[in-house]
Amino acid sequence: MTEASSHIEFIIGEEKRLADIVGKAEVEPLLRSALKLGITRAALLDEDDLPLAVLGELPESGAPVRKQLNILVEGEPKGALLLEATEDLPGFEAIARLLQDALQLTVTNNLKRMLTTEVHTTIVQESYEQLVNTNRRLMESERRYRDLARDLELKVEERTAELKAAYSRLLQQEKLAAVGQLAAGMAHEINTPLGFIGSNLHSFTKYQARMAEMLELYQRLLDEGGVLEQIAWQARQRRQQLKLDFVLTDSGLLLEQCREGVERIATIVAQLKGFAHLDGMEQQSMDLVHELKQLLAGRAPQFPPNTRLITDLQPLPPVVCRVPLMVQAFANILDNALKSRAEGLELRVSSAVAGERLLISISDNGCGIPADQLPRIFEPFFTTRPVGSGTGMGLTVAREAVIGAGGALEVTSREGEGTVVTVCLPLTLDP
Amino acid sequence: MIEFDEQQKRLVLKLVYYGPALSGKTTNLLCLHDRLQQEGRGELMMLDTTEDRTIYFDLLPFFYVAPSGLKIKLKVYTVPGQVRHDATRKAVLQRADGVVFIADSQLIQQGVNAESFANLEQNLSMVGLAIEQLPLVVQFNKQDLPGVVPEAELRETWGPTGLPVFMASALQGWGVLETFQAAVEGLFDTVDQKLGLREHYQVSRDDFVAQLVQAETKL
Ligand SMILES: Nc1nc2c(ncn2[C@@H]2O[C@H](COP(=O)(O)OP(=O)(O)OP(=O)(O)O)[C@@H](O)[C@H]2O)c(=O)[nH]1
Ligand SMILES: [Mg+2]
Repeated sequence: MTEASSHIEFIIGEEKRLADIVGKAEVEPLLRSALKLGITRAALLDEDDLPLAVLGELPESGAPVRKQLNILVEGEPKGALLLEATEDLPGFEAIARLLQDALQLTVTNNLKRMLTTEVHTTIVQESYEQLVNTNRRLMESERRYRDLARDLELKVEERTAELKAAYSRLLQQEKLAAVGQLAAGMAHEINTPLGFIGSNLHSFTKYQARMAEMLELYQRLLDEGGVLEQIAWQARQRRQQLKLDFVLTDSGLLLEQCREGVERIATIVAQLKGFAHLDGMEQQSMDLVHELKQLLAGRAPQFPPNTRLITDLQPLPPVVCRVPLMVQAFANILDNALKSRAEGLELRVSSAVAGERLLISISDNGCGIPADQLPRIFEPFFTTRPVGSGTGMGLTVAREAVIGAGGALEVTSREGEGTVVTVCLPLTLDP
Repeated sequence: MIEFDEQQKRLVLKLVYYGPALSGKTTNLLCLHDRLQQEGRGELMMLDTTEDRTIYFDLLPFFYVAPSGLKIKLKVYTVPGQVRHDATRKAVLQRADGVVFIADSQLIQQGVNAESFANLEQNLSMVGLAIEQLPLVVQFNKQDLPGVVPEAELRETWGPTGLPVFMASALQGWGVLETFQAAVEGLFDTVDQKLGLREHYQVSRDDFVAQLVQAETKL
């Protein structure tokens, strides 16, 4: 037997016993009417001659007449009607036939009804089975999809974690590389001022010895006493020998250079601080447009002659970021623009909301960046300007700040035509 | 599924008349009822019908008692042919021991015949019966009508199947007994193979068939 049939439990037209088809309660009224017609005892016997229903009592004496008539189920004798009466009962035969017919009709009708019900039950059962099967299949496929979805989620998570790890490794490597670059650049950048500060100090030490010697001479001449003219003459002689006029002027220059050198180092260190301690600074809400306006006002003295400033500053929603870094970023970009041209600068500053992003663009009509140098502009200490006029950290710092705020910095430039720097920041709706 | 009670020496077999709607399944049974001797058969039981269309089934029982005392009851069923009663068809088909396929000989009914036969194959497998192992007899009924497919053509088509094919007119009463007889013979052979009717119960094939297919000697 194949699997299909194992589900079906109800079999149409299975062999039945008489007791399955008629019950006592149904038969008794018929038997009772037999008694009313004068039958002494009436019974319905099943296929084993056991009574299904019996009515009436046999008298102590007097052998009654018995009649036993078959009851058929599907054309087969499956039981019998047993009637007993006294010999003199008129029409016994006719009564018996009538009762047999009535019982037979009941049995046949019941059987038909049962068969009909069986078909119904089978169909209902089958559609139920089908429903259950369909349901099971649906549940199975649902489970499969759920598993699949879960697995997928897991896989995606795993991949994401892997990617994150890989990315952070990459980032780490990049950072290390950047740090290496930074260190190299820093060494070079700090070495230059350190070099001239050192040599200046070396010269100044010699100068300082001459100045001390001069002071001692004055002291000694005054202590010895004598003619003032004599003292003045002697001092002038020595002063010329020691070239003190030159020494004093040069000392001023040397010290001034040293101060500049120290300032340069200080600036580098300050920017390095910003570069290194991104994580330490607190996030705050910032009104970018306001800051830009302040920045422009503050930088006005540094505008080259005949600068034309064109602003199109549309109000922006507040940006959450490390405010000082972001201000520094824009200052650096702006400074680059200001230095891009000696005069006749056309400086355009605009801000706008574009979909989910804020766009701030600063453009100039300056010297531009040569195409071959464009890829390197974010490298620490890379600069297109002559040595000494820039630290090369401006755009590096600016980009770090913008990326730290979840944004991006883009530079397009054409040599001799100008540069456009676009800062793109995510729109943060609730500050 | 042969219903066999060895202790009671009782065997119940099931033969199902299958086929498209209105092909004459019920008419076949009516004809069997009319033509066969009352002695060997029970009454034809027709469950509720609507406008003479079978909606449940018809049942005509036959009886045979072997000299050994083995009683064999053969229950002949018809299924409802209408497409929508497929569930009932399937239910009636359960545990069938043999099938008679009543086809309609009219040319325009050939598509319907094919559909019904495919339905039979499908339902047999669904109730777990293997069509190759079941005695199957085909009858092309309504041969009395004009516009029927010529017998030669039908035989040519069905010959390769190896199935016994009969031409009949249930309305006129011919071909019906022959069909039934072939089915009874097929039934006997399969049951004999499984239970050893001849060997263990001294049932003779000829006697069995003759008893069941005993035409009433009409005056
Ligand atoms: N001319 C002709 N008509 C027939 C023949 N057999 C049956 N019919 C008629 O075809 C009609 C349908 O016959 P049924 O025996 O009720 O058909 P069925 O196969 O039982 O149909 P369903 O119960 O609906 O499946 C009746 O009007 C029959 O008189 C035949 O051999 N010749
Ligand atoms: Mg019918």
